[in-house]
Amino acid sequence: MLETIHILNYLLPLLYVAVFAVYLTDFYKDKPALHNIKRIFLFVTLIIHTIYLVLWTIHFDHPPITTKFEIFSVLAFSIGFSYFLIELSTDIRATGTFILAISIIFQVISTLFIEDVIDVPEVLKNRLLGLHVISALCGYTGVTISAVYALLFTVQYKRIKLNQFGLVFNRLPSLELLEKLAVSSIMVGFALLTIAILIGTIWLPSAFPNFSYLDPKLLATGVVWLFYGAGLIVRFTTGLYGKKFMTYSIAGFIIAMISLGITGIIGSTFHQFSK
Amino acid sequence: MNLIGTSINHHTATIEQREALHLSKNEMTEFIGLLRNNLLSDGFVISTCNRTEIFGLPIDNNLDISKIQDALLSYKHVDGLSNKNFLNFFSCGAVKHLFSVTSGIDSLILGDSQIHGQMKDAFQLSVDMNFAGTIMRRIFDTATRVGKRSITETEIGEGAVSVSYAAIQVVEKIFANLQNRSAIVIGAGETGELAALHLKDKGIGKIAIANRTLIRAEELARKVQGEIVPFENLHELLHNFDIVISATSAPGVILNYDEVKTIVKKRRGNPVCLMDLALPRDIDPAVAKLDGVFYNDIDTLGKIIDMNIRKREKEIPAVEAIILEEMQNLFSWYNTLEVIPTIKKIRDFFEEIRQEEIDKIKHKVHEEDIKKLDDMTKRLVGRLLHNPTIRLRQIAESGLNYQEVANYTSVISNLFNPEQVDEEINSN
Repeated sequence: MLETIHILNYLLPLLYVAVFAVYLTDFYKDKPALHNIKRIFLFVTLIIHTIYLVLWTIHFDHPPITTKFEIFSVLAFSIGFSYFLIELSTDIRATGTFILAISIIFQVISTLFIEDVIDVPEVLKNRLLGLHVISALCGYTGVTISAVYALLFTVQYKRIKLNQFGLVFNRLPSLELLEKLAVSSIMVGFALLTIAILIGTIWLPSAFPNFSYLDPKLLATGVVWLFYGAGLIVRFTTGLYGKKFMTYSIAGFIIAMISLGITGIIGSTFHQFSK
Repeated sequence: MNLIGTSINHHTATIEQREALHLSKNEMTEFIGLLRNNLLSDGFVISTCNRTEIFGLPIDNNLDISKIQDALLSYKHVDGLSNKNFLNFFSCGAVKHLFSVTSGIDSLILGDSQIHGQMKDAFQLSVDMNFAGTIMRRIFDTATRVGKRSITETEIGEGAVSVSYAAIQVVEKIFANLQNRSAIVIGAGETGELAALHLKDKGIGKIAIANRTLIRAEELARKVQGEIVPFENLHELLHNFDIVISATSAPGVILNYDEVKTIVKKRRGNPVCLMDLALPRDIDPAVAKLDGVFYNDIDTLGKIIDMNIRKREKEIPAVEAIILEEMQNLFSWYNTLEVIPTIKKIRDFFEEIRQEEIDKIKHKVHEEDIKKLDDMTKRLVGRLLHNPTIRLRQIAESGLNYQEVANYTSVISNLFNPEQVDEEINSN
């Protein structure tokens, strides 16, 4: 089984790159023949990724959420799967290129640095921890996808304002649709981050003896949560629309990435599960 | 195929000349009557703002095509036009031109789909007037198919090629669903009307018309089931609309920077789309700098039109391939028409001989044996003629070479020459 896991680990980045290539080709050529092929490519990749994650969990007796490189693979899957659901439900097919590029980045890093971690502390096999990590991951997936849509909104906005009616103008969906997708992603991401924080606040103190509310990772997540929460409140109360809100979403994503990066570097946290 | 065609169109005549030759439906009916009496056995006439064309099968194979042109010029009493303003087409060339017209690649606006409907009406008129026989109907059907295939299998009709439609294309990149949006069209002239009709076609939620002359506003509002906004109240009500399309003939700006700024404030961040289709412009172009304002004029929309025309031009080879394919099919069918009478004649000739031989021995053998002989000789004749029949059909269907088909048909007719053999038998 270990050999299969290792093969799949190296196969996954190649599959994501292949999917990305098909989406990119379709973005440029817009050939009807490619419309369904690319979706099938993505579906097959997600199935293989699911098999990889299941095999990993069975073989190592813990879900792949104990190191950041394991988490990166789950994140790549989560982003790809979320996009697949978005494409199926909205039939917007031209944005996959940009979202799946992020999946490639996470999966490539994971493939290169992931290690076979067999012995993990018993606490990391707890189901509540799994729920906490998965909801946090899905939350970050939401804000990541939102940031991509916000970025695409900004690009399309500029194209229209500057009367540049080229390929990007033709392929990208309308501004209203991009904004809707960005806002929906933030709302889903925010809700899941809230769940992750709630579980963490209630359960973590009893699970980790060295738990601290001043833990850098907790504080960073709190800042990100507050930032998005405030943005959503302002949007629905005072009407923060269009370019301003999209800029806010991108800013939120940058804050999230910087804060996670800093806490990753600081390192001295009970949140660092493996060495 | 002895199809002939003559055409006066945007390549050969000015718009005034084309207008002078335009035939209304009643005129077309009358003119077809004239053609049928003297010149053509079958045919049809198409007349649009960009072309008047006559296609048909001549009564006399040596017909001088200029007679058809003269008939049209004298029917319409037009001066200043001569036969030089007409293009002439014969046989394959006539079919190819007809297919080029139906596919839209010969249109003034490349890929214009309006021509499909106009062609269909012209065909129908011929059918209704019994001016269309088997060959002409087959040509109609194929021409219609060429038009449909060009639209469905290529992108010759894709993208906006008029400013009013290009404006809607931009609007659709800002708002996802026009059903939830409201629009106002300022100016009820030709451009304004087109824009209003496009918006209605796209399912705009609410549409209003504002025009200095109230009667024209009412007329257009009726057409698009919209409401009327009094021109004098325009500025107070403009912030209620997501889309503003202005196409007046006003000599100067009717919506300045400060007025648009006020509209933006009143809309509390909701975007507004301003499409200035007028020349000189109705809206101060400086408004494009305002956040949440999407402004386009005919120059910027022209970029979309140029881009779409370039895209359509790239589709011409694909359309031409469809035309060629359909021409091959049509001529294959047509060539079989030439061989079918020969095949039938030879088969009848063999059957006659068989029957005569059966009759000769009818009274000499038993009735049961006659039945067996009858079946056997039928099978024998069938097998003997199977290969020549199939081969002749294949030659006829294999291509556009009419001469080759004629040669084979002639050889077979001469070799067997049923009529001559019949005469010899009778004389003996």
